[in-house]
Amino acid sequence: KITLPPLTNSFFFLYDSSKVQEEVDLTRDGIYYFSPEDTPIDQQELLCGQLAGVCRCVSELSSSPVRLLHLRKSKYAVRMKDKFLWALSCVVDIPDVSVCDLLDQLIALFCFYNGPVRQSYQLYSKQELALRWARYLCHLQGGSTELHHIFSCLRTIDSTHIDPLLLLKAALILQACQRCPLVLAGCILYRGRVVSTQMPPALTVKVMVYETQTYSQDFQVTANGLSSLVGSPFSSTATTQVFLMPTELHMLRCPPVDRACRSHCNQPPCQPSRSRLLSRTLSDTPTTDTDSSMPSSPRSSLSDELCFSPSPSRVNTPIHSNLMNQSEYFTPDSHVHSTSNGTNLCAVEEHLAGLNINQIKSEENKLDANNHVTNKNGNGETEEEAKTKSKQINRKLKEKNEPTNTPSPHETLEDTSLVPLVLYQHRVKGLVLALLVEPEFITDHSAREEVHHSSLASLNGLEAHLRNTSPGTPGPPGPYTFAHYDCIQNTLTTNVCGRSVGPQDQAFVKATKLVHSHFSRLDTLQEAIVRNASSAVYGTRTTAQETYFLQQGTPVRNSGSPDPQDSAFSLPRKARLRLLKHGVNLL
Amino acid sequence: MKCLLLANESAEVLFYWTDTEFEQRVQEQYGLPAFEDSINTLFAPIIISCSTMVDRLGDNYTSFSTENNHIYVLHQFEECLYIAVNGDGDETEEDLKRKIFVMKKLTEIMFGMVTFSGALLRKELRPQDTEQRNRLWKKLRSLLETYSRLRENDQSFLVEAVERLIHPTLCEQCIEFLERRLVQQINSNMDRMGEEVLHAFILVHTKLLAFYSSRNASNLYSSDLLALIILVQDLYPSKINLDETSEELESSSVPEVFYTPEPSPPERESGDKNMAEDSLQTLEAPTPDPSAPSRVFLESKECPMPHSMYCLPLWPGITLVLLTKIPNSHVATSVCYFLEAFVKLEKRLCEGHEGAAAMRGQPSVQEQRSRLEKLIKTWAGMDIQTSQLQNAWTDFKNKAFSRSGSGFTRDLLPSCRNMKTQLCGVYRQFFAAECMGSSQRLAPHLQERALSMVQEKLMDWKDFLLVKSKRNITMEFPGLIHFIYVDRSNGQMIAPSLNVTDRTVSELGKGPLADFIKKKVWSLVATAQRYLQKGYATVTLRDGDYFYCYFLWFENETGYKLEVIDIPSSPDDGAPVGMLTCDYYRKLLRYYSKKHQNEVVKCYELFTVHLGVIPNEYILQHCSQLARKLWEPTRIPLL
Repeated sequence: KITLPPLTNSFFFLYDSSKVQEEVDLTRDGIYYFSPEDTPIDQQELLCGQLAGVCRCVSELSSSPVRLLHLRKSKYAVRMKDKFLWALSCVVDIPDVSVCDLLDQLIALFCFYNGPVRQSYQLYSKQELALRWARYLCHLQGGSTELHHIFSCLRTIDSTHIDPLLLLKAALILQACQRCPLVLAGCILYRGRVVSTQMPPALTVKVMVYETQTYSQDFQVTANGLSSLVGSPFSSTATTQVFLMPTELHMLRCPPVDRACRSHCNQPPCQPSRSRLLSRTLSDTPTTDTDSSMPSSPRSSLSDELCFSPSPSRVNTPIHSNLMNQSEYFTPDSHVHSTSNGTNLCAVEEHLAGLNINQIKSEENKLDANNHVTNKNGNGETEEEAKTKSKQINRKLKEKNEPTNTPSPHETLEDTSLVPLVLYQHRVKGLVLALLVEPEFITDHSAREEVHHSSLASLNGLEAHLRNTSPGTPGPPGPYTFAHYDCIQNTLTTNVCGRSVGPQDQAFVKATKLVHSHFSRLDTLQEAIVRNASSAVYGTRTTAQETYFLQQGTPVRNSGSPDPQDSAFSLPRKARLRLLKHGVNLL
Repeated sequence: MKCLLLANESAEVLFYWTDTEFEQRVQEQYGLPAFEDSINTLFAPIIISCSTMVDRLGDNYTSFSTENNHIYVLHQFEECLYIAVNGDGDETEEDLKRKIFVMKKLTEIMFGMVTFSGALLRKELRPQDTEQRNRLWKKLRSLLETYSRLRENDQSFLVEAVERLIHPTLCEQCIEFLERRLVQQINSNMDRMGEEVLHAFILVHTKLLAFYSSRNASNLYSSDLLALIILVQDLYPSKINLDETSEELESSSVPEVFYTPEPSPPERESGDKNMAEDSLQTLEAPTPDPSAPSRVFLESKECPMPHSMYCLPLWPGITLVLLTKIPNSHVATSVCYFLEAFVKLEKRLCEGHEGAAAMRGQPSVQEQRSRLEKLIKTWAGMDIQTSQLQNAWTDFKNKAFSRSGSGFTRDLLPSCRNMKTQLCGVYRQFFAAECMGSSQRLAPHLQERALSMVQEKLMDWKDFLLVKSKRNITMEFPGLIHFIYVDRSNGQMIAPSLNVTDRTVSELGKGPLADFIKKKVWSLVATAQRYLQKGYATVTLRDGDYFYCYFLWFENETGYKLEVIDIPSSPDDGAPVGMLTCDYYRKLLRYYSKKHQNEVVKCYELFTVHLGVIPNEYILQHCSQLARKLWEPTRIPLL
């Protein structure tokens, strides 16, 4: 039996209720994105209108945003922020905690690549951003098992079939890159799976978007004519602007390791003040000269108007034609003056193997404003003009954001505090080195050369090794089923195969869902055994892991009355014994 | 911050209950002069959205939750939407759902078949007369609060099974007394005004001392008995004394090792008179007319049957309850018969069956027609308004049977629905409390006589009973902290006391530890029910320093343990697991019995809390021994 990914047939939408305030306003004007996109518009309007209405009503009464809506046949995770409402639906038996996590990941992904949501919709058209939402959604839904969704975990390479030395090698490459102080952290991916990472799981997931999409569905790769990419000698680097939450950045800048050994590149003289400078956001750019000129109205219709007035024409123009402006928008003033010769463009791409990446990348990718090689004078606008415009935008954005600058428990949604950073990617066929680097990295030629040359040979070697490692036929499945979730690294080890799932596996997944949601509700719960007539599942957890175990075959028949001989109660012992060979230590 | 609300499809509030915190919050936000208007304004968009979702998407909301953990639970019964809200973290989604189902049960107990018709239920719950409405809403609110208090504090309402006082000899004596002396005397008296005592039982607080049913009475279901205990507790609440802490208490023996208390000899208990009297205080009876019975509608095989319930307080905390059959109650059966016929017809017409096919599965049309004709004539001769029913019937006949009429087609639907409403109306006229003449009751002197007879009988026992009700059973297993054993076949449970707020010392002592354990027990039951709903009949949990077990199993009458079966998992929006609401266990037993048709199937549950340091093997052995030991008392014939 084929189990469908739990998000198939699910709805996702982003709705802006500030667009629908008067009686005459159409609900469709508030719909920024709706998936599946072929849903009839009247059904989109019905769902968005009803859910948004109910959410507003409930959040007013409870003075708090709505988080979950349960219906008889489905459930919706919800996020409400400013006037935006995001909702993601799934079938009812997915744990609440899982679907809420998925929605948060989705929003976080969008903000990571595009920056604050409101700002993105000022800069790009709905159609352009729709492609991105679709891609992020696809990334989160893509080709993994139901268990992956339950734990919302990272996809990693199967380390049991890989020479541990290769993993060590990958870790060493990352460490070598980190010798350059502009490099904050990195990860290495092979065919859409994590080989080694220095980033917290939430960041690793974001970095993986494009990779997972390319490799999770092999048939698509061929269909798009990209298969040549995999086989041909090919190496390229690219940089993309990304946005981090201050906490994420803090974790990267102050990692719990000693960085004294980073002596290769010159340390900036004054680390603390530099950090402060880098973490500046659009909203704390000094704009004393303009403050008086704009009325400081609280969030009125005026501010909405302002948001959309500066670039009405731009919204509908292709992004690459005015790339320069966009990069300016994303570049705080403080960085602009420090760069020269127009290389303040945040996107730079190099072609090392003489191949133009733009020809290979799909049309969709071209829409990625921050991911392009462009002629600096391509759009005929002078730098001076661009700067002025950028200042105007900054000022207007500031007006807009200031009144809502209240602390929120969910930082992803705290648009104003996102910090721009750069994602550097070095691809060697199926292998990708992804580094989060300080924005100066783009202009610092020596640093780029350094990182590139120090890692190139090792990456080639690693790629060759990984390519030649046979995926390894999974051993005989064994008389048991298990899943081991590492809460720290956010990874899952399991012997439940991806697509075809037998009845025992279904029983296992069903029990795992229940017990996982029980664990998530009750911090003090350490272990649970649940049993019905045909199966018994043991679940145990510590702060670092959750493990689930099912012994195959019907448990020894008994009455279900209390009986020490009941085979269900021997599961903890069996799990300890059996899982040792999978590297899971439950002792 | 709590609220419960009933509304119909036109977003009209039929009843609401809020706590003061919720009321304040709403007033601050909306500040309309009439609170009811604020409530209306507040919930109208949600209620309207609900009907839109049902109409256009065929789906409906079941719950909302917010980031600050406010929970809203919604459930639609026919035309009536129930919404329960909690914003203080005291209740879970499951608790709120249960509350809604209990509220539904209470309206069924109070209004019987009238709840079948949305229009009539609206009239019943929202009387035109403001004073009458206030009185009714006050009663309903009080019932709801009584239920919540019991649910929070009483283990029998936690697991929804009746707890018995374990004293076989006294119990037997009482049953004999109720049968031979009390019921016989009343039923042979001329002043009983045509009523007949069918059931009589004695409650000590919420615990059952003795229960007697006369031979021609139909079975009283556990769900009804539990609902009746709520009514009794609402009239005569067992008030728990919180503020006084007397020296007597401090000097009383708190067991040093709380989980291995010594079994207490009964002599000591019966001698301890002060303790019992101090701990139990009863509020003054609030009813203005003490000899007036309450109208209750109890489940029977055919339909909700009207009864009169007399609550006679013997002493504070001890109550005698009589359930009588009232004159004309047989009318209920015939009304119900035809109501069902019209419901079936409506369903088949809706499904598109026409002509003879619409009446398939029912006795011949002509026969039914003449029976109903006759009945309507008989009812017209009685003291009720039947003109509307007669008009509806004439209209139905014209459409269904005459040549000019539509016959049995979809066009008949409105007439069919109107007949339903009119039949419910007749039922209401016969049986609704306020429609019955206020003089219809057992003569007051007869009630007084009954009271004094039982008082006399139990005079020497009353103090013992009050203490016994606080300390019904003791534990002897070292390491065992608490257990609850339930016999689901007869809806009864046994558990050591857990009176944390009471001044008496329970098995666990008192204070924060006992309170902590109480919380754990409550959450264990909720957890077990959640797993049971998903089909898991055995659950063990290690949580903090404790180990919890839950078992559900089936036996035949001789105690032979039957094989486990896969229990179907129920949908999330289904009725909560329990007996008071939609009786999950009755359905479960029916399901299991299909496989064991030639034997009586019994269903048992055991919940235990052990210290986590005890090795699992010992804990499981304990559970097994406990189940064997507790099986014995349930053999005593009581019901």
